[in-house]
Amino acid sequence: MRLGRATDGKPVLRLKTGLQIRLGNLGAAGFLGLLAVVVTAVALGVGATRLGIWDLPGILTGGSLSGEQAFALWSVRLPRALIGFMAGWLVAMTGAMLQSLARNPLADPGLFGLSQGSMLMIMLLIVFMPDAPKEAIPLAALAGGLCVAFLLIWLVGGSHSSGLAILLMGIAVETVLSSISSLLILYTPNETSYALSDWLAGSLFQASWTGIAALAPWFLLSLPAAFLIGRALRCYDLGNEMALALGEPIRWSRPAILVIAVLLSSASVTAVGPLIFLGVMAPHLAGFLSPSTGRVRLILSGLTGGILVVGADSLTRGLGGEVALPIGLSLTLLGVPLFIISLRLRALRNMQTD
Amino acid sequence: MRLSILIPALLAANTVFAADRTVTDDAGRSVTVPEDPQRIVVLHEPALGVPIADLGLAPVGSYGRDDDGGTLMAVDFYDVILGPRAPDPMPKGIGVLGNIDLEKLRALNPDLIIGTEYDKDKTELFSAIAPIYLQNSSTGLVRGFGPTKALAGLLGREEEFQVRKADYLARLDRVRSELPFDPEGRTYLALFLTDQVNAVGEMSGAVQAIEDLGYKRLELDKVGAISGFGSTLLVPISPEIVGRLDPDLLIVMSTFTAKERGEAAIQAALTRIVPGWERFLKPAREGRILYLDSAQVTTPSIASAEKTLDAFEAWSGR
Repeated sequence: MRLGRATDGKPVLRLKTGLQIRLGNLGAAGFLGLLAVVVTAVALGVGATRLGIWDLPGILTGGSLSGEQAFALWSVRLPRALIGFMAGWLVAMTGAMLQSLARNPLADPGLFGLSQGSMLMIMLLIVFMPDAPKEAIPLAALAGGLCVAFLLIWLVGGSHSSGLAILLMGIAVETVLSSISSLLILYTPNETSYALSDWLAGSLFQASWTGIAALAPWFLLSLPAAFLIGRALRCYDLGNEMALALGEPIRWSRPAILVIAVLLSSASVTAVGPLIFLGVMAPHLAGFLSPSTGRVRLILSGLTGGILVVGADSLTRGLGGEVALPIGLSLTLLGVPLFIISLRLRALRNMQTD
Repeated sequence: MRLSILIPALLAANTVFAADRTVTDDAGRSVTVPEDPQRIVVLHEPALGVPIADLGLAPVGSYGRDDDGGTLMAVDFYDVILGPRAPDPMPKGIGVLGNIDLEKLRALNPDLIIGTEYDKDKTELFSAIAPIYLQNSSTGLVRGFGPTKALAGLLGREEEFQVRKADYLARLDRVRSELPFDPEGRTYLALFLTDQVNAVGEMSGAVQAIEDLGYKRLELDKVGAISGFGSTLLVPISPEIVGRLDPDLLIVMSTFTAKERGEAAIQAALTRIVPGWERFLKPAREGRILYLDSAQVTTPSIASAEKTLDAFEAWSGR
């Protein structure tokens, strides 16, 4: 391992394996990792039970908890924080993948219709097969997402398609699926439609250790996936022709990346419902903190997404008052101002450069 | 472990188990509930909380209330229906509407949680706090104040139920004898106005009282009026059909989210949805229309059935 400089003069850390990491990216990852720990600690201290952030060091050093405190920590707050982080990580990483694939900064699982495909399939299952086992829900989400992905690949003509074509087709498919979802909500019995609306707003209410066990494999899978497809995404960032020139086998790598995106997005939708705009927001914020491509972009986006969801959940539980604040809304309240500030600062920086 | 510690512990455990019993809830789940539950939390105030309070058992927690027991809903059902018999103190809340707080629920230290069939997805989570029993509450699954009888059986309140039912039946006989006609065999239709016209389903104290008086439901299926899916209480009906409906008694009530639920407010609500109803709706022209306060009569409790009888009494006295 040794320090060096990249072709643009920025310092990089070169590993013996040939891999190199920009020091700026490494610093950003360290900062986001630390921020994730702080935000999680805050999340563990927010709630109706008297268990503040300052009690946590005592618990970690063997302090005892009352029954209520143990329940709040182990059955409510920790599962919510862990599931929230993993779901946010997966959505943000999927957004970063799709943005590279489409070469469009607006792409995210929602815009491509992948989330809608998963959601619609889950809704159909809940409405028409209410007694179906719980284990069928992730399969339904996966099937819905995959159907949309294969439909998109077929509609845009596989490897011959451009990123813009996938994006436009994705928007069209998403619009159709959203209409069907709205129809279902409108004409199902009130209680079912209320439950569906709650879920569509995104919620960590059902967070449990069983849920963590179901989501963790997908979260762990995302790490080797990021490593494997990171290089391909760097090529796609440069456009189809350049990717081909760099030896990227776009005939199969583009559908493969889309399928991986579906797998990760479906897992997240199953766990917490849709997290609107996170797939766009998190990669942008990560890019503002430290510009990156490929694997590093995926990891930084994932960290940012996880932090935003855990923070939003703290906001939901801490500032709920007498009005329910769905996670989707608190995510918007927390993330969008940051998103706007980052865009404004970037614009100011560009103006100064010009 | 020493036997001197183990044996008393085992005996104590047996004592706890002896006070429990295993029942099958309406979702077909086997649930071990306390023989005499004292700290009940209900997940639906009108469908579960009011019937339980009507049996003289005050829930300690009720979905839709704040930390001090104030209502978060448009109507305080306990207060409106039970009046002086409402729980005192009022049940505390378990989080804001649409966002149940598990920590608040646990803090109430419930020994039994009762939900409706729509809480199936929460059973795993809530079972970590207390046993959860699911009681059917939707029209099509239960009739009249049937849920009150079922809950009385679950909570060991059969005697209270029989006393309340006997009072109700005595009242029913009196009201029937005061009516200027024999309602036996006559048809009725109960409409519930939201932003559309709905027919009140089979679940509610109102339906129990009306049918116990002798009225029989106008069969909407035969006139093709059903339009869409139903809920715990209501079934939407086509507005095109409303004008043609001619039951012997038309009952109309407006949504309980409305601030005013009296006769004038209900008539105004009906005008908004079906303009000119007073001219073409035959029961309205012939004075065969009765207005009810939905907040008082739509729970599956004996108290709601009695409120309906009150309204009949006032109507027949006009």
